[in-house]
Amino acid sequence: MGLAAAIRVQVEATLAQRVPAALTLKIKQAPELFSTGIAEVDAMLGGGIPRSSITEVSGASSTGKTSFALSAVASITQLGNACAWVDISDALSPEATAAAGVELRRLLWLRMSAERGKKVKVTDKPWSRLEQGLKATDLLLQTGGFGAIVLDMSDVLPQHARRIPLGTWYRFRLAAEHARTALIFLTQSPCASSCATLALRCEPAAAIPFSSSGETPLFERQQYEFARERNRNEGSPFLQRKPTQRVCWPAETLWSRVR
Amino acid sequence: MYAVLHPSNFFAQAAVHQRPELRKKPFVVLDGEPPSETVFAANNSARSLGVEIGMTRLHVEAFSEVIALRRVIEHEHTAHASLHHVACMFSPRIELVEERPGTYALDVSGMDLLYGDAGQLANKLRQSVMTAGFLANVAVAENFHAAVSLASSRTGVSVVPPGGEAHAIGQLPLTALHLTPEHEATFATWGIRTCADLAALAETELISRLGQVGKKLHSLACGTWPHLMFPMEASFEAGLVERMELDFPVEELERLLFLISRMTTTLLERVRGKARAIAALRVILRLDGGAQHERTVRPALPLQDTPTLLKLIQLDLETHPPCAAILGLELHAQSAVPYRAQHGLFLPQSPEPGQLEVMLARMRKLLGEKRVGSPELTDDHRPNAFRMVPFAPPQPRRNERPSLSTPIALRVSRPPQMVGVALTNQVPVRVFWDGASYVVRDAAGPVRVSGQWWSEANWCREEWDVRLENASAERLCRIAFDPRSRCWYVQGTYD
Repeated sequence: MGLAAAIRVQVEATLAQRVPAALTLKIKQAPELFSTGIAEVDAMLGGGIPRSSITEVSGASSTGKTSFALSAVASITQLGNACAWVDISDALSPEATAAAGVELRRLLWLRMSAERGKKVKVTDKPWSRLEQGLKATDLLLQTGGFGAIVLDMSDVLPQHARRIPLGTWYRFRLAAEHARTALIFLTQSPCASSCATLALRCEPAAAIPFSSSGETPLFERQQYEFARERNRNEGSPFLQRKPTQRVCWPAETLWSRVR
Repeated sequence: MYAVLHPSNFFAQAAVHQRPELRKKPFVVLDGEPPSETVFAANNSARSLGVEIGMTRLHVEAFSEVIALRRVIEHEHTAHASLHHVACMFSPRIELVEERPGTYALDVSGMDLLYGDAGQLANKLRQSVMTAGFLANVAVAENFHAAVSLASSRTGVSVVPPGGEAHAIGQLPLTALHLTPEHEATFATWGIRTCADLAALAETELISRLGQVGKKLHSLACGTWPHLMFPMEASFEAGLVERMELDFPVEELERLLFLISRMTTTLLERVRGKARAIAALRVILRLDGGAQHERTVRPALPLQDTPTLLKLIQLDLETHPPCAAILGLELHAQSAVPYRAQHGLFLPQSPEPGQLEVMLARMRKLLGEKRVGSPELTDDHRPNAFRMVPFAPPQPRRNERPSLSTPIALRVSRPPQMVGVALTNQVPVRVFWDGASYVVRDAAGPVRVSGQWWSEANWCREEWDVRLENASAERLCRIAFDPRSRCWYVQGTYD
């Protein structure tokens, strides 16, 4: 045994009561991943989105957040898990959900409404809906047993989403870890900051013109681009920042499947 | 071997079963249409004051100390159910003695291994009946009719050794045999007062004077008249009812929950006794003003724990509160075989049924009845036609996902937002939405859709898929033109 190793053993033995294995690097467990159902994105993420933690997908409208989330929920329900969709703007389309392959009976859809709750004048401010959504997410995490919970805040303006206290996201992170649930946030701009284990930014990709092969032009496909901003699950013990990775993935309309 | 359980003055006991504070006071139970009500039952204190069965209300009102109660048939049913429940704990074969209300005969042959000898069993039975709130006499004998006569005439516990029936009932008055008034008068004229007197008569002489009835009466007095038992097979479900009357109107639900908790626990105990669980619980609140408020809590799986059931009732009543103060409440339970699940180590995770039920009830309270559940597509041509169904995930099972391309999701605007659209050659070129102006880069359409043309609810529209762009953002939307209202609106955004 070398001198360095001997010293290390001595130091660890001395500190064993206070700090177990003080000088040994902690072996990090490989996170359990859920496939997103999109091969390109799975390849970039190393297998899929992590379970027991927060995944934040942010971007402007029409950048593929909902399509991505539906695809992930579809593959999770196909595994036999129950999922929940907390819909702040009541914007989920059951047709699109079914088309994405989600098993509808395994999906709990919670639709927020501005009229419900406190008897206040209905305004364009989303406070009551946001409050309901956060409370509902809390209840879902406490109940446990859901494979994935999607908190859909896609239509909430960034200035409104940023006013949610940071403590909420910390609480959600702990609860998700405890409930072994993949918590997916869909937002216009990142708001969960360091609580999100995986942060994806959706960016507008090169626009594909509408097809004009038939009599009338037809909207057939769209190209989306994802940039990975943060992935805490990557197994480097030294926190070195990796360059942002990008991936493009295609999505098609339902009628183009028929053609 | 039969054990007979006889609550003396059953109707009076049933009337005050829910109000034990009245037991020590003189009271009468009145029956009939007002104002011609008559005394139907009275307790001993009232009788000692001079009250008699059949007196009118006016007579009773002359006794200032006597409390007059109205006869409530439901209370008698509840009392019957309680006694039946106690009897069921001691024997599976029970018969209701119809000529004596509230009297149950139990076939206790072979029960000595569980409850000890006949004396111990009778004492335990009496103790259980007293715990249930009734004062009853118990008699154990080989002969059914001897046991019935003893229980109805002798206070406390009577145990007759085999073969000693004639001796045991010998000292009882003839009324213990439940004679018809004519026979009672005949025996009175003969100077026959007790069963022993009747048993001492020659059987053939009695038959020659009274006919075949004479033989029966002689055998009854000797304690040898045989009996063929027809055990009751009472509907277990019909007995799962608990009722409560309140002394004063209650408006706060929290105060009511204490009572509901107690009643639910009682029902659950009864249900558990049969190794079953509660599948549905109907709560009927009788309100001030005569109205009724009825709610049914139906958990997804039969439950056996009070806290979950209580929480479900609480959340349901908070979501649908009664419109007036509450005067009385009833709980009707429906039982079912309890849910048993074989969990596996490698099965996908799913929410625990009890917790899920409570969570869904909380969500319904938070968001509204129609906003919680799973979507189900309806057989309709109208885009985005769906209905909400209760969330009940099936057993975890892996499915193979068909390898199709990822579809583009549409985020639906509910309700559709009105927009301004500028057209050139019938094609949208500019859209004004939410105070912003967008240039239409690409437009696909129009797609003309319509439906329900045969009814008032007919609809039609022209749909366009458009790529909108302005200085700050680009959006892919579906806009539609309604020819009837001549309005453009956004149906949704592709995302």
